[in-house]
Amino acid sequence: MMDQKSPILVLGVGNPLLTDDGVGIHAIAALEKAYSFNPPVEIMDGGVQGLNLLGFIAEAKHLIVIDAVRNGGAPGTLYRLAGGQIPRRVLQKNSLHQVGLLEALALASVLGDPPSTVILGVEPLDIASIGLEPTLPVRERIPELVDAVLAELKLLGCVPQARGE
Amino acid sequence: MAKRITIDPVTRIEGHLRIEVEIADGKVVNAWSSGQMFRGIEMILKGRDPRDAPLFTQRSCGVCTYVHYLASIRAIEAAVGVEVPENARILRNLLHGTQYQHDHIIHFYHLHALDWVDILSALKADPQKTAALAENVSQARWGGTAYFKQVQERIKTFVESGQLGPFNNAYWGHSAYALPPEANLMAVSHYLEALRLQAKAAQMHAIFGAKNPHLQSLVVGGITCAMDLTPDRIAEFLYLWKETQTFVRNVYLSDILAIGSFYKDWAALGGTSNFLAWGDFPEGEKEPESLFMPRGVIMNRDIAAVRPAEQEKVTEHISHSWYEGNTDQHPYKGQTAPQHGDYDPDNRYSWIKAPRYEGEPCEVGPLARMLVAYARGKDSARKLVDDTLARLGVPVTALFSTLGRTAARALETVLVGDAMEGWVMKLVENLKAGQDTIYQAWTMPDKATGCGLNDVPRGSLGHWIEIEDKKIKNYQYVVPSTWNLGPRCSNGKLGPVEQALIGTPVADPKRPVEVLRTVHSFDPCIACAVHMIDPRSNEVYKIHVL
Repeated sequence: MMDQKSPILVLGVGNPLLTDDGVGIHAIAALEKAYSFNPPVEIMDGGVQGLNLLGFIAEAKHLIVIDAVRNGGAPGTLYRLAGGQIPRRVLQKNSLHQVGLLEALALASVLGDPPSTVILGVEPLDIASIGLEPTLPVRERIPELVDAVLAELKLLGCVPQARGE
Repeated sequence: MAKRITIDPVTRIEGHLRIEVEIADGKVVNAWSSGQMFRGIEMILKGRDPRDAPLFTQRSCGVCTYVHYLASIRAIEAAVGVEVPENARILRNLLHGTQYQHDHIIHFYHLHALDWVDILSALKADPQKTAALAENVSQARWGGTAYFKQVQERIKTFVESGQLGPFNNAYWGHSAYALPPEANLMAVSHYLEALRLQAKAAQMHAIFGAKNPHLQSLVVGGITCAMDLTPDRIAEFLYLWKETQTFVRNVYLSDILAIGSFYKDWAALGGTSNFLAWGDFPEGEKEPESLFMPRGVIMNRDIAAVRPAEQEKVTEHISHSWYEGNTDQHPYKGQTAPQHGDYDPDNRYSWIKAPRYEGEPCEVGPLARMLVAYARGKDSARKLVDDTLARLGVPVTALFSTLGRTAARALETVLVGDAMEGWVMKLVENLKAGQDTIYQAWTMPDKATGCGLNDVPRGSLGHWIEIEDKKIKNYQYVVPSTWNLGPRCSNGKLGPVEQALIGTPVADPKRPVEVLRTVHSFDPCIACAVHMIDPRSNEVYKIHVL
């Protein structure tokens, strides 16, 4: 139980039952297992909640999103998107119900001050098959993805401590 | 040079829905509802420890995490034969009631309202007149000329920034939009206030749910949030509940009446015939007798002839779905053997199976639940329904429509939300009396079957589990969107949404907002693309819709 909400939210999103789509969830699990932070940060498994995450997003000052990102690169390619590189809306829309994360970000800006946002992504190979683990090219990049999150947190003045040291 | 990227939303949805309609003389004469994505979570569960099922199934749907979690826990409890303590039952009801409040508010404002509310027309509204209108029809806490002016400015900035994202609907200015600019501006302001509210209200789930958005506090035999059963935490929950329910009564319900009064023609469109509710919110040990939202089935709109609903009478048909075989099986016997083929409306055309109750398609969801509650003589439900019909000046048959479905959702939110206060008080009373049991021990049998029924915001949900050697042998579930959006069955009977669309007027086949109104009124948890065929002009339009 934290009384003081951290201004930093690390948000893993995706569906851990759908192979590479779960990479964001697997990455935050690895992050939480290996490190603690001072001051503490909010680490959240956002699943595929889309718009329902708006509350958590709106409360944060700094947002780090970890997700599978389709950008046409080789599977396992890592991406960092910030500021103007974050698409203002989803171009290839076929989601009715899951008004997605990008919409939630857009709406956060209508409501008031949206958090400064960085998206750390991995190019997926397979996001359609049912599977509890990412494919090999994606799985083997998870440690680097965790390092990328640590780098972002350091920029925000947060010191990671390896657990068990 | 930044690269253009797309975050592919395909993975963010539970399935992809395609609606095809045929139009003659400006009206829908035939319809096909097709789920375009296979969900085979059942296959992953085989051979696992039954206790894994709740955590897996809560990930199977985009937003309805808690409801699958609860249904799965109940199925296992039925199989192992454990009765949960009263406090656990109350806490589960509170979490479930919270889900109703949130889902229904989000559905109306963020997923459905823009079918009725024209956001661009709101830019033409006079803020002063809007303030007067709002004063008159809603008891919202915010208002006044300056407030509406500010909302208008915000929308304008957003529209001009070219990132209409969530409002990216191609139908602004369509002739089917009936609200004056001021009513549109008022509704859009409530859209934004509802966003703010849902952001706050998400905390309610976290209080007794241990984690949010994927709750972890339920276990087979009870609940684990003992450390949150303190006066402080309960007071915090009540405070958030009160704020949410005040919005439900003073804003959501008022908006339904205000907006509904401009769309009375929709009280004669979009209806179905049969209604099924498993019911939910047990207030005692005996079910279904103790269910706050009662169980029942209504056939052919004959409310007086409401009957008990029994899960044994459910079968799933697959003759028009992409599965092996043609058998109609009860979920205990159900197999998930996918066999994808071409999309062929005359033959197989959907990944969704066709559930039937005694062979009949049934609508599930808020309208079904309110009708069953009405039929069972539940006074609070009757009063709400009768008052609403009187205020809108529409006959009782208006319930069987798109407008009736949308109004029933709001009425149910009032009903369930109001009941939550009493549940909290009962919990407090128990704790004060030293009754703090929240868990009942149990043992895993070698062999057993169990069924967990619940009624969730979108409608009736059932999970069926078969255990052998202490492992899952078979697991099936039938979700609300399967009932509502399933295809034809072996007997050629249309699914509820297919039936509801027949007769819908379509002013402009290129912009079928009327079709969307009915499809969205079912709160499908699937994406939607509308494929229009106009046999007379022989044109085919493919329209992808948010």
